[in-house]
Amino acid sequence: MMRPVLVRRDRVLPAVQGFGFLVGIFVALVLGAILLLVSDSNPVEVYERMFDSAFRGTDSLSRTLERATPLALTGLAVAVAGSMGLWNIGAEGQMMAGATLATGVAMMTDGLSGPLLIAVMLSCGVVGGMVLMLGPALARSHLGVNEIITTLMLVYVSIRIVEWLEVGRWKDPDSLGFPRIEEVPGQASLPQLFGRANVGVLVALGLLIVFSLAVSRTAWGYELRLAGSSPNTARYAGVSLRRKVLTALLLSGGIAGLAGAVQLTGTEVRLTPGLSNGFGFSGIIVAALALMRPSGVAVVAFVFGAVQVGGQSIQTLGVSAAISTILQAMILFGALTAVVFFNYRIRWAGSGDGSDV
Amino acid sequence: MSEAAVIGLFVATVQFATLVYLAALGELIAERAGVLNLGVEGMMAMGAVSGFMVGLETGSPWAAFVVAAAVGALVGGFHALISVVLGADQVVSGLALTIGGVGLAAYVGRNVGGRIPETKFTDMSIIGLSEIRWFGDIFFNQPPVVYLAVLLGAGSWFVLARTRLGLALRAVGESAPTTDAVGHSVVGLRVAAVMVGGGLAGAAGSFLSLYMAPGWTEGMVAGRGWIAVALVIFGAWKPGRLAAGALLFGFTLALQPRLQSFDINFLGLQVNQISPALLGMLPFLLTVAVLVVISWRYRHGPSPAPASLGIAYRREER
Repeated sequence: MMRPVLVRRDRVLPAVQGFGFLVGIFVALVLGAILLLVSDSNPVEVYERMFDSAFRGTDSLSRTLERATPLALTGLAVAVAGSMGLWNIGAEGQMMAGATLATGVAMMTDGLSGPLLIAVMLSCGVVGGMVLMLGPALARSHLGVNEIITTLMLVYVSIRIVEWLEVGRWKDPDSLGFPRIEEVPGQASLPQLFGRANVGVLVALGLLIVFSLAVSRTAWGYELRLAGSSPNTARYAGVSLRRKVLTALLLSGGIAGLAGAVQLTGTEVRLTPGLSNGFGFSGIIVAALALMRPSGVAVVAFVFGAVQVGGQSIQTLGVSAAISTILQAMILFGALTAVVFFNYRIRWAGSGDGSDV
Repeated sequence: MSEAAVIGLFVATVQFATLVYLAALGELIAERAGVLNLGVEGMMAMGAVSGFMVGLETGSPWAAFVVAAAVGALVGGFHALISVVLGADQVVSGLALTIGGVGLAAYVGRNVGGRIPETKFTDMSIIGLSEIRWFGDIFFNQPPVVYLAVLLGAGSWFVLARTRLGLALRAVGESAPTTDAVGHSVVGLRVAAVMVGGGLAGAAGSFLSLYMAPGWTEGMVAGRGWIAVALVIFGAWKPGRLAAGALLFGFTLALQPRLQSFDINFLGLQVNQISPALLGMLPFLLTVAVLVVISWRYRHGPSPAPASLGIAYRREER
């Protein structure tokens, strides 16, 4: 009996890794089409609508960019932690914490001019994200507590905090009893670029460039990657692992918090428990597809922005927007599989002792 | 606070404990075989929606339970295919499974949201024991899934600790190369463990949608799959300790919707004045606290985690 065995390829082109993403998109579109066919929808019509609503015309493009902005920031947040092998899967909660602190400061500082207020709110976003990350980061760096679970648990905590503020202290007095937080002041909205795209796009792009250079071109970034890939070597080289873990996680939380403040000042008008809207979870997929590289995050976030805008648009065809979530996960599964086959090939081996392997 | 309210709290504790225990037991089996599956939340969501739909269609909660388990096993099998057979990153695959599973469940259940099932699991008294004061109501007047969870827990302990299969399963989690050298199939054992684990998570999902909160709403698993993942660490990868942890978490989950009706004064704090939103944080904060305490306890010694947990095995790279 012959059975398949995965054998590592002798030569792997490093550039080929990026193609995993393309293969993933292809696989997702095929599987998505099957799912749509099974549920009596026309995949061609659905995909056409998705494509048009995401790319055709400046208005569509601006919507895609609007969605890509928080995805790029949460993707970057996950990637910064991921470049040293850590997982921040709580960006969803840190967004909320950032937006909460930004809202709080906007309530307290009446009458600041627009640009100053925006700068203060965005800074508070960073701080809010870091505050929520502080516990998991310290627990990880000093006790080795698994950061995957702790960061995620705080997502639920941060949502509850906003729900509590909504019915309690921060309840809008003009809301006629409806649990709702006041709108942020008008001068706190980020200036629009074109259509629905706002300055947040530039903030995200700037940060991606900064981190792309910092991770790949500086001694700090090298130590970060070294600490992730070979902690013992890093320790012998005099790198403090504790400090590296702390900085990577806190930066990650801060970036996700910034995403929350950008979302608050750019797209939403008020803090709600749904402000994060799944961006933090999609950011995990974005970062994983970008192989934790900030430069890749920009590309993947743009595509995912399009998938999400497309997902919203097909609701008018009577198709559930959940399709876009499924497509995102399928892209990742497709890419994961593709990357395995870029590095390994199948060899048919005889059964038995395996000596031919 | 009336006696009935206290008993009600503990009855709900046992039920919430069962919910997280079933899913956590599945995760424990997979992790003992060396496979981390962060897709529990997604598998539970798929189990909840498929179980609910079968329940609507057939009117039989047991048919729903079985189908939900099968769906969970299938979804788990997908994780096994990607992370065990192909050897891709277990964390990434598991996270994608959670996100994709929750999304797929929302899609599958898009037309049944808000419908009320005509049948659900009914309570079953154990003759003789259900008459015991307090204990009878709390432990022996429960839906059969509760008793089944106890049996499954005991069975898992027996298989893991006392049989050759269990030995092989634990060995593959400790050292895959050694197990391979002895002649066991690493891939076979791991795939089987992940699928059994998925089956239990799926079954837990149907207990949620056909008993705990009859119906289907998007996002109804609400983080309890993740609590199950944390419980495995709390339970030190042992089915017995896992049950103790499940009862503790079950208590906090049961407490939140009930505490408002309790007129008690705790440390000068009127309990029923606490906002339900803040009480809702309790299970999640407890999870973080528990993980910190456990890591503190094991800070000098080796962790009780299976040594090969999370590491893919490829024979030719032995």
